[in-house]
Amino acid sequence: MTVNEIISLARKEKRTVLTEIEAKQILQEAGISCTETKLAPTREQAVSLSNEIGYPVVLKVSSVDITHKSDAGGVKVNLKDQAAVETAYDEIMNSCRGQFPDANIEGISVQGMAKSGIEVIIGMTKDPSFGPVLMFGLGGVFVEVLKDVAFRIVPLEKSDANQMINEIQGKKLLEGYRGQDPADIPFLEDMLLKLSAFVDKTPEIKEIDMNPVFAYKEGAVVVDARIILDDE
Amino acid sequence: MMELFFKPKSVAVVGASGTPGKLGYVIVKNIADSDFDGEVYPVNPKSDEILGYKVYKSLTEIPGEVDLVVTALPTPKITAAAMEECAKKGVKAVIIESAGFAEIGGEGKVIQQQIVDIAKKNNIRVMGPNCSGIVSRNIVTSIYPMTKKVSRGNVVLIGQSGLLAAGMASDIVENESLSVNKVCSIGNKCDVNENDLLEYFGEQDDVDVISMYLENVSDGKNLTRIAKKVAAEKPVIFLNGGRTDAGAKAAMSHTGSIASNSKIVKTAIQQTGMIQADDFGEMKDFAKVFSTQPLPKGNRIAVITLAGSVGVVVSDLCAEHGLELPKLTPDTMEILKDKFDTPVSNPVDLFFSVTKIGFTKTLETTFPDALKDPNIDAAVLILAGFEYTQEAVQKKIIQKIVAEVGKPVVVCMIVGYNKYKNVITDELGKDLPVFPSLISGVKALSKLCEYGIRKHQNQP
Repeated sequence: MTVNEIISLARKEKRTVLTEIEAKQILQEAGISCTETKLAPTREQAVSLSNEIGYPVVLKVSSVDITHKSDAGGVKVNLKDQAAVETAYDEIMNSCRGQFPDANIEGISVQGMAKSGIEVIIGMTKDPSFGPVLMFGLGGVFVEVLKDVAFRIVPLEKSDANQMINEIQGKKLLEGYRGQDPADIPFLEDMLLKLSAFVDKTPEIKEIDMNPVFAYKEGAVVVDARIILDDE
Repeated sequence: MMELFFKPKSVAVVGASGTPGKLGYVIVKNIADSDFDGEVYPVNPKSDEILGYKVYKSLTEIPGEVDLVVTALPTPKITAAAMEECAKKGVKAVIIESAGFAEIGGEGKVIQQQIVDIAKKNNIRVMGPNCSGIVSRNIVTSIYPMTKKVSRGNVVLIGQSGLLAAGMASDIVENESLSVNKVCSIGNKCDVNENDLLEYFGEQDDVDVISMYLENVSDGKNLTRIAKKVAAEKPVIFLNGGRTDAGAKAAMSHTGSIASNSKIVKTAIQQTGMIQADDFGEMKDFAKVFSTQPLPKGNRIAVITLAGSVGVVVSDLCAEHGLELPKLTPDTMEILKDKFDTPVSNPVDLFFSVTKIGFTKTLETTFPDALKDPNIDAAVLILAGFEYTQEAVQKKIIQKIVAEVGKPVVVCMIVGYNKYKNVITDELGKDLPVFPSLISGVKALSKLCEYGIRKHQNQP
């Protein structure tokens, strides 16, 4: 589906929250690479998609009504074979249905298990006065506890993307700390510029979280994504 | 369109008064005392003459064209009625000074919207309400009585507040502490906002520095665009109110919950290359440094002091504000050694030389050499309030050296405030940026260096 089709569908269904699969499709269209993610409405399809994508895989509940998927027992990672996928499918469904009996669950998303890298968050929010603003930071505890992030107002110039990455306190961790691989900073800059160009021409979107993005020595990939549309 | 506010050929004051002390009187008096040489039309149905000007019963009764209308009327309702008259008369620029509009909510807000609607329909630009308009050499519409004429300076101050901007303007003009070109108070910004003024003053050749205070940003997207363009050409100093995060925002994303308005305004300042001030004093101080000193190409500072302990603290402050204190070149050290009998480093401690040849002579022989040193981009000169400092100031020794060498200098004053403030801060302060503390001087210089380096790097 194209960006417009995804947005129209959400509008038709009167929701502002996009599913992870929809969010990743939109980001892919914007030129931002995401882990391959597909929807399995049944256990059988989860298995066949896992076979297609290749093990290990990750299964996540796909529901716009469940915001914190991990807390709901809706995420299973590093599933190495068909049996593991089948068990995980049932456990996720049971746990989520148990905790959120009223949630509309469209199925389970199957995605390739990205090899771990430096965790980064890239996001966008729309300010009523300044318009879209991008955020960059290190993921996990760095963003949640320390709020070690940098902002720039859209549209970004190349120098803005570079400066916002250089501005965070934890910059050293991106350069390869204690023998870890460094992050591909030019690639992350490019991601920021692509996101800037995309949100600049897509006014319907209110908020985006790409969290985490795994940054590698070469390249980076969006592992989880969330997109919220503006109220109509 | 903005020209009508700053260079009108005729101005009408609606709500003019003949009673000294009343706002409608102060405005007419301020216009009369300025260099304004166009037509002045006081409007008041109950007077015949105010300060020698013929008074008109209404705007429509005025025979000629009216470029600018200033209103000081008792209620919002009467003001809205005056707006209708402005439309009838074909006026295109109005300054509404009275308060009681959107800032108090309720009916005030409704009437302000009516005024905006009248303005839009009739292509009228409105400054205010709840403001004091313009203080400049050519016209003063302020509600604060002016005691002197405004300088033909190179600094523009823009304030969202009404009375504060007017009071600051009066202070600055009275003390000649800043070379002001215009002070604009834009109040509720129902129409004319910071972006209009930034764009206008960005294009004025006689304006070198713009310094503004805003309580809220009217249109952030355009501010970012305009400020980027203007700040690349001339320094734009920005003080914003409401800088703390007031409570968490309801957002469905991490990004949305972290990105408070205050963080975004801060980002805008950084991204556009504006200079952030943290206090009204800094708004003025930074403007003083930028308007009187050349831009340095680097951040290498010489510190000239009379006391070693002061040098230590200034060194720390410089490091904290991103300034470096390099060694002087061997050539300079060799020259200075002859005058001091002791090795000289940076900070340059003048004490021994002063005891030998006196302060004025020491300054004349030491300060220029240290400032000229190729390792040095700018200097902090620390002056203490003593009898001999007075002599150096009165002979304008420091001003001469600074002008001759052509590198930026800030002066910080320590001790002797009671007796010598008038000499050092007030007298020397007319020509050079003089600060009452080390930290304020170092901070202002760091902003100058930061901007200078950026501008230097961006030059093709």
